[in-house]
Amino acid sequence: MTGGFFEINSCTDILVEKNSPFFTSGGFYSKYSGQCGRNGHYKKCPFRPFSPLNSLYCRLEWVVLLLRGQNNFLSKRYILQAIERDSMTDKATPPVSANILVVGGGISGLTTTLEAAEAGYEVILLEKEPSLGGRVSQLRQYFPKLCPPTCGLEINYRRIKDNPRVNVYTLAEVENVDGVPGDYTVTVRMNPRYVTSECTCCGDCEKASKTEIPNEFNFGMDKTKGAYLPHNMAFPQRYVVSPQIIGTEDARRCKEACKYNAIDLEMESKTIDFKVGAIVWATGWVPYDATRIENLGFGRYDNIITNMMLERLAAKNGPTQGKILRPSDEKAPESVAFVQCAGSRDENHLPYCSYICCMASLKHATYIREQYPDTEVFIFYIDVRAPGQRYEKFYDKLKNDDKVFLIKGKVAEVSEDAAGNITVVAENAVTGEKIRKTVDMAVLATGMQPTTASVKLPADLNYTDDGFIINDFEKGGMFATGCANKPADVVTSNQNATGMALKAIQTLVRR
Amino acid sequence: MLLEPDVKFIKEIESLGGDTLKKCFQCATCSVACPISPDNKPFPRKEMIAASWGLKDRVVKNADIWLCHNCGDCSTLCPRGAKPGDVLAALRMYAIKEYAFPKKLGEMVSDPSKLPILLAIPFIIFLIVGMVCNMFVDPNWLCFSPGGDEIVHSHFFNSWLVDLIFVPLSLCVVAVFARGGYQFLNDIHQNAVLEGKTDKKELDLLGIAQAFPKVVLKILKHEKFDQCGENQSRSTPHMLVLFGFIGLFIVTSIFFVVLYGFQTHGPYSQFNPVKWLANISGIALVMGGLVMLKERISQDTSKQISTYKDWSLIGLVLALGLSGLLTEMTRLGELAALSYGLYYIHLVFVFCLFAYLPFSKLAHLFYRTLAMTYSEYANRQ
Repeated sequence: MTGGFFEINSCTDILVEKNSPFFTSGGFYSKYSGQCGRNGHYKKCPFRPFSPLNSLYCRLEWVVLLLRGQNNFLSKRYILQAIERDSMTDKATPPVSANILVVGGGISGLTTTLEAAEAGYEVILLEKEPSLGGRVSQLRQYFPKLCPPTCGLEINYRRIKDNPRVNVYTLAEVENVDGVPGDYTVTVRMNPRYVTSECTCCGDCEKASKTEIPNEFNFGMDKTKGAYLPHNMAFPQRYVVSPQIIGTEDARRCKEACKYNAIDLEMESKTIDFKVGAIVWATGWVPYDATRIENLGFGRYDNIITNMMLERLAAKNGPTQGKILRPSDEKAPESVAFVQCAGSRDENHLPYCSYICCMASLKHATYIREQYPDTEVFIFYIDVRAPGQRYEKFYDKLKNDDKVFLIKGKVAEVSEDAAGNITVVAENAVTGEKIRKTVDMAVLATGMQPTTASVKLPADLNYTDDGFIINDFEKGGMFATGCANKPADVVTSNQNATGMALKAIQTLVRR
Repeated sequence: MLLEPDVKFIKEIESLGGDTLKKCFQCATCSVACPISPDNKPFPRKEMIAASWGLKDRVVKNADIWLCHNCGDCSTLCPRGAKPGDVLAALRMYAIKEYAFPKKLGEMVSDPSKLPILLAIPFIIFLIVGMVCNMFVDPNWLCFSPGGDEIVHSHFFNSWLVDLIFVPLSLCVVAVFARGGYQFLNDIHQNAVLEGKTDKKELDLLGIAQAFPKVVLKILKHEKFDQCGENQSRSTPHMLVLFGFIGLFIVTSIFFVVLYGFQTHGPYSQFNPVKWLANISGIALVMGGLVMLKERISQDTSKQISTYKDWSLIGLVLALGLSGLLTEMTRLGELAALSYGLYYIHLVFVFCLFAYLPFSKLAHLFYRTLAMTYSEYANRQ
């Protein structure tokens, strides 16, 4: 044992980093409460973390573990590993698989990709859709500056084009992940686009196609043809042939219409193995399925839509070319009700706060107010959550708008009259009166659910009960960012994504 | 306004089945989900905050907790699992205790460990009163060997003895209710004025009396109960039990009059229409009780819980109905000893019904009727 101590002293610097309570008083810091990181207390400390009692306990426990031979801070293997690592970093050359894999090409994935690539690392970016951009590309404007998404996304696309260290694969899905931090083998399925890089986006195939498919990008509010451009700012700017028309006469028509011979109907899906050192999961979110909130009538009444549908209605490249019209009769709404916490902060649906919906509805109020100066907006809420000074200011501005009415009380009942108008029912918790407000259109502020809530990723990851990926920084190697990790706005996602780029780099460098 | 939270009250509500109270975050879903809540100052959102703040008077002296029929629609939609339905049930139990007298008995009725004592009380009272009377009357009023060819329960437990015990007992119950009811009416009126739930300034007892028949009709038809979503299936068993009790009350009254007016003793012929009513009522009571029991056992406890008070009331209903019917059946089956024994047990349960009425969940019969009558009078729809 004495020898062990000597060895430890010889590499104290490594052990200090490694939370031995005898060498450091702080230990591994975690933003989650109830964890100090000492002696493997990553889940829960026996006492309040960093309290004197806990420190005392940690030291005692450390000795007990030592006597029982379970103290991994002293084990030979650990020390050898530590020395090996130390010598590796001395060489200052990255290991063989010095690639970073980023899964998901939304705003978080793009940020991680670019931050890591611009720091000099090779990055592979996978996106399962035919275009990058994710949820942000569906918005009309996004916080903090209310820019149209073209603004931020196109700068990122430019950076990708300019950076030789970024390899982007669209229509790609991870099938399997093997290996350990620093050395992963990732099997990726590449789904066929049926359109080659010869495509010039002339649109002849689209004109030739006679099939109509509900447009998921616009939440089914319009249709695309069998061959289509995902949306006008799709990146890569390339058409895609829907798998639904493959093998039909329509596919042949599309192929024949293409002057550039860019359509290859024989294209097949294939799997490719990538060797990477670190993986960042930026798998994002889906809007919570509003049909499940039975008492709020979505899917039953035409003029009840979701907040993301309103984004598409308000967006210039949306189904109504940016005109906010109610679905049943395409009438310009004279009154709109927003139903906050539609499915969020609700144990029957999503128990957590989705973070963005309050600001989203306030932003939507500005869309409506800009387009229709006389339209009244009623926002029914539990609490308005406008975090930070900038959001608070935005909220204040809307509060002082004489056409925007904020009512404290959750809508729990809706009905529709013969004209398609919607009546929402809530109790105003301030006055104690039950309100029945009839409006032209109601918008459900549905929350975000991680894509990993329904289908888990083929990798060794831990999830919260709600399906968000838990970051295990001790294990390292794989990290979740953006809304795969927690509900977040674009600003937070980007900050988080930058941090995860660093975490991924640290895995490669092993310093 | 300075709030003075009654922490003990909060703790007690939590112990009475309202332990989810503090989960409420005042989203007001419940007030909308409730099918019978009025538009002006709807419940139960305001009761939830008042209770969690320990504002006892706001909730206990409040007619709204009685307008609630425990449908459970609010608890089903509640996003926090705060179960407003259960909290209001706990508040009602608290209110029953608050308005009943003596308090000590109220505490015993709500304590499961005191159940043997509560059952022993009538058992012993019957024995003592019977023995004492036996010293003065012949034949004995409590006769353990009645003999004779026919089983006649009054030969074992004389009707005089029954009435000697039950008539004063009933008067006591009436007195307890009269005292509590008067206080209750004044309190809920004050609360209604304070919260702006009524257009009436002064409490007019005549006006309340005028509203009474309308409300009775509503209750008999279960109009409010039938608006419930979640627990609508409880409407039918509740109706069976209610009508069972009413039927048996009518039967008892008729036999009381017949006994004292015409000196006609039981047992009565099975062909007597009053006997038909008695039998049908008894069966309704047992059937209703059994369905209630089944509903309670199979209910989703994440949405609604059952407390001791719920179980003890169903237990009493079943015990009353079954002991009564079995007494009759064993009499017809000529099992003398068994029949007399069952009759004694039946009387014990009848005593429990009367004596503990103002303290048990069954007191809702009185307070809910009163609260509904007041609301009818106060134009609170």
